[in-house]
Amino acid sequence: MPEQKNAPLLDVEDLSVAYGPNDVVRDVRFSIARGESLALIGESGSGKSTIAKSILKLLGTDDAEVTGNVWFEGRELLGMPERQFRPLRGRRLGYIPQDPGSALNPVRTIGSQAQEAAALLGETNPDARRSHILSVLADVGLADPVRVYDSYPHQLSGGMLQRVLIGLTVLPRPALIVADEPTSALDVTVQKLTLDLLADLRQELDISLLLITHDLAIAAERADTLVVLRDGTVQETGAAREVFKAPRSEYARSLYSDVPALNPDRYRSQRLLPDNRRRESTANPPRIEMQGVEKSFTTAGKRVLALDGVSFSVSPGTTHALVGESGSGKTTAARLLLGLEQPSAGEIRVNGDPLQGRRRSELRDVRRHLQLVYQNPFTSLDPTWRVSRIVGEPLDRFGVGGNRSRRAAQVREALEAVGLPESFLARRPAHLSGGQRQRVAIARALVLHPDIVVLDEPTSALDVSVQAGILELLARLQRERGLTYLFVSHDLALVRQIADTVSVLQHGKVVEDGPVQRIFEQPQHAYTRALLAAIPRVTASETPTTTIPALSEATL
Amino acid sequence: MTSTLAITPFRRAGAGARRTTVGIPPTVVLSFLVVLVMVLWSLLPGMFTSFSPVEGATAGKLEAPSSAHWFGTDYLGRDLYSRVVFGTASSVSSALVAVLIGLVVGSAIGLASGFGGGWVDAVLGRFVDVLLAIPGFLLAVVIVSSLGFQTINAAIATGVSAVAVFARLMRAEVLRIRGAAFVEASYLEGGTLLHALLKHILPNAYRPVLVLAVLQFGTSILVIASLAFLGYGDPPPASDWGLLVASGKTYPTAPWLVYAPALVIVITVLAVNRISRWLRKVK
Amino acid sequence: MKNQYQRFVLTRAGQAVVVVLLAYVLTFLVISVLPGDSITNSLRDPQRGLSEEEIQRIVAFYGLDKPVVVQLVLSLGRFLSGDLGFSLQSNLPVAQLIGDALPSTLALASSALALAVIFAVAIAYGAHYLPGKWASLLRSVPSLFLSVPNFVIGLVLIELFAFRLHAFTTIDTNSAAATVFAAVTLAIPVSAPLAEVFIASLDHESRQEYAVVARSRGLSEARLFVQHLAKPSALPAVAMVALIVGELLGGAVITETIFGRDGIGTLVQKAVTGEDQPVLQAVVSLSAIVFVAVNLVADLASPLVDPRIELREVVDA
Repeated sequence: MPEQKNAPLLDVEDLSVAYGPNDVVRDVRFSIARGESLALIGESGSGKSTIAKSILKLLGTDDAEVTGNVWFEGRELLGMPERQFRPLRGRRLGYIPQDPGSALNPVRTIGSQAQEAAALLGETNPDARRSHILSVLADVGLADPVRVYDSYPHQLSGGMLQRVLIGLTVLPRPALIVADEPTSALDVTVQKLTLDLLADLRQELDISLLLITHDLAIAAERADTLVVLRDGTVQETGAAREVFKAPRSEYARSLYSDVPALNPDRYRSQRLLPDNRRRESTANPPRIEMQGVEKSFTTAGKRVLALDGVSFSVSPGTTHALVGESGSGKTTAARLLLGLEQPSAGEIRVNGDPLQGRRRSELRDVRRHLQLVYQNPFTSLDPTWRVSRIVGEPLDRFGVGGNRSRRAAQVREALEAVGLPESFLARRPAHLSGGQRQRVAIARALVLHPDIVVLDEPTSALDVSVQAGILELLARLQRERGLTYLFVSHDLALVRQIADTVSVLQHGKVVEDGPVQRIFEQPQHAYTRALLAAIPRVTASETPTTTIPALSEATL
Repeated sequence: MTSTLAITPFRRAGAGARRTTVGIPPTVVLSFLVVLVMVLWSLLPGMFTSFSPVEGATAGKLEAPSSAHWFGTDYLGRDLYSRVVFGTASSVSSALVAVLIGLVVGSAIGLASGFGGGWVDAVLGRFVDVLLAIPGFLLAVVIVSSLGFQTINAAIATGVSAVAVFARLMRAEVLRIRGAAFVEASYLEGGTLLHALLKHILPNAYRPVLVLAVLQFGTSILVIASLAFLGYGDPPPASDWGLLVASGKTYPTAPWLVYAPALVIVITVLAVNRISRWLRKVK
Repeated sequence: MKNQYQRFVLTRAGQAVVVVLLAYVLTFLVISVLPGDSITNSLRDPQRGLSEEEIQRIVAFYGLDKPVVVQLVLSLGRFLSGDLGFSLQSNLPVAQLIGDALPSTLALASSALALAVIFAVAIAYGAHYLPGKWASLLRSVPSLFLSVPNFVIGLVLIELFAFRLHAFTTIDTNSAAATVFAAVTLAIPVSAPLAEVFIASLDHESRQEYAVVARSRGLSEARLFVQHLAKPSALPAVAMVALIVGELLGGAVITETIFGRDGIGTLVQKAVTGEDQPVLQAVVSLSAIVFVAVNLVADLASPLVDPRIELREVVDA
């Protein structure tokens, strides 16, 4: 292939994408040199995935109007007819999707799909293809390639599937891999292992990487060059370390300050209680106490222990975090506290009173002081209701708050407390953004003036800048109202910002607990250390990891 | 006027259906117009024709469509257009009765099933299975033969055979919405089961059920027309659309006797189906 | 796994038997209990020309002088032992009438099913892969098919192909050509919901991430359809097959009447006009058995065809 020595591998010039009158990407330009890795960073709506799909010509023929030039290995891709482009797919340009769970055909085995991918490369002998595939599956750290080969996608975990996909993508040794949020659907510890694997394969096989991510910390850790996007335009481009150390654009600066992993103490001052309140808080009996709580479910004739002897207590006016990955039991613990489910054994006390053995009406009394904010604000608000009615529902249901006009005043006050203007009262959830919805959900939780608010991953469905706004709000409300929070999260970096004490859960057991600072500085348990190691560190790019850690049972 | 309305939906159905402009697509506007005309024909048939639907002039037997007789005349010299107009009430309103029966009974069963759960669900579920197991049209035929050959009985029969679909949809909707976080949130805020049912579940379930009801309205017009075609509705001189087609088919030399009422059926059902599809799409 | 599948089969088969029995009871109640002429009254209709002795024999056979519950038990008992009773019109055993009518209806219904599937697949494939204008035209076809009563389709086909083009005659009603046109009549309304489901699931599957990923590996659209999309988008349509069979049986009443074919449909039509309750009861119950059996087969096959369905869940549900 006649090509200049130092021409970039991929050169994107003035790329614009429009759907009818809405342009979602405007005049984007960047280039990737051979062996280089570049990260496109942006929040939802920034156009980062659209750019990736345009380069791969995977936007679908629908209504997207793509203009500009994309040069790859000296050839222009956008104007290239499909027939010429198809041979480049897979072989020169690889693609790793976001959600490994849906990226493989659910009704065919891994093996048959891998066979198909291998056959596209021209190998005609099925046995040769099979042995090649098995060796690649072994290369990506899958312990039992033959079992994986014979499995259907739903029989494997997300981490294993992403390894399969990475394996299939590197199989043809492409020059460039486009990875669209390759780890955001995975548990944090698996995220790190997957990214390490990708970095290692890249180095070994000399593959360039275009990484699409919303996570500035991951981008800075894993890429040589950063391109910061917002609303379809490039805000800033530069070497990762420079953009990171000294962001020039305002957007990059605010993005930086919103990333939990990079700003462990951001809300510390806002949350700090005055000394007298602090003393009061520790002197009073704990707001929440769990003692040896067990919860078992029976699914398909098998008894599964979701919680196994969980104990913790939370002092008034403080935040306690339950941290763990999916299946750790953290959400079950929160649901038990709210009385949505009954524990199989153990004791739960709220404000010193046991929760068990209460009748419905008594449970209602407890719930007045105990409110919940759900993870997903897109499902926790009734789409047919207006904000005023949503926020007022607890007052109406509990029959408190006085007459109609006084209730309306309380609803307005709650809305103001979460920083939303009064004009929102008449809106329906469909006309609110994710962050606004979550604020409405918080207002609904606050309107009864509860003592305790359970926050079930309240920001995990939100963009990082929106998350920062919500966390700031929660910190302020806690200080002003002396609220006690039980904060359920999978994200230790976030927990470090917002919590006072932590219980780390794994497979339904508390493996470690204590003050946040101690957990971070002197983690005792291996699992805690694995969680901490999964927090991206920017310095890591200076000392790249070289080994592919084998997948242990614990992380799958 | 009727003939222009009659032809246009055919031509435009394809082009307009996929357009996602703001406001109501033209084919939907046209469909609503068709339905409006049908409603007016049902309520005030005398306003739309000066001819009697039952008395004919023997002089003008089996005349082809003309400016005087838009749909021609039948073997007794009766104006077919006015017979169609006067047949609208029983053809269309009986379909409405059928939908109401299916909607009310089916939704109640589905609601009880989805909300009651346990043995209630098991018992009602079997009942719905049984209704589904008997082919709908056959069930309608058996019911109408048992109740007697009248249009209202055909409507009841059609309604009963539609109960199962409504029950299934309502049950599925209740189960879907019941599991939603906002319903659980309502319990946490001290809401009762009844409150959740009335204020959260029903308002959210009503739209898909409404879409089905409109769709089922079109289907019911067809089923009732088919029953009338077989002679299971009101006997002549009633002029249910299906009956008109059936009696017209004995005169091969006067094809308008079949095509005119047939076209009215097709256009009406097409309009109703278009509205149903539109309702399914709009938020 | 094996054991679980056996348990699954047994549970489903048990449920199917219960549904069939209940369908029989429901039909019986509709026929005997609903207001309208009672059987005994209609037997005395002079048009039937039955002697008092014959009437007495029929009353005794069906237990018509006994309470409804007893009649039901008698009737159900005979049904379970395979005895479908005698036609009140022709005095022939119902089983024989059905046996005579069945082959013609089977030929009609199976060719209609085949045609409906072909129509539906063609419409869906075209709607998905043809360029814009044609695709949107095809997308409105199911809605049109759903809006035309099948007696109108039948009459138009007869007018056009029998009277004008002489492609078949309405006299030799069982000729291959006549069967094809009758099957088309029956197939058109049935193909509409099938095509809608196909279009929807094809649209859905082709937007799935796995389709995008397969494309990104360089798979052509044609191979993508054959190897990836065809099977998962056919699965929801397969689940509809029992419903389709029911529609075919219902539609046969009209289609056979119009084309003048002797079959189950015309048998039903004659039984209704002749108030021949034993024939109606038998045909409806056998339809329910066919429906339930087809449904059962589709159900039992689903865990074998679709690896995502876990047997445990199906058994528990």
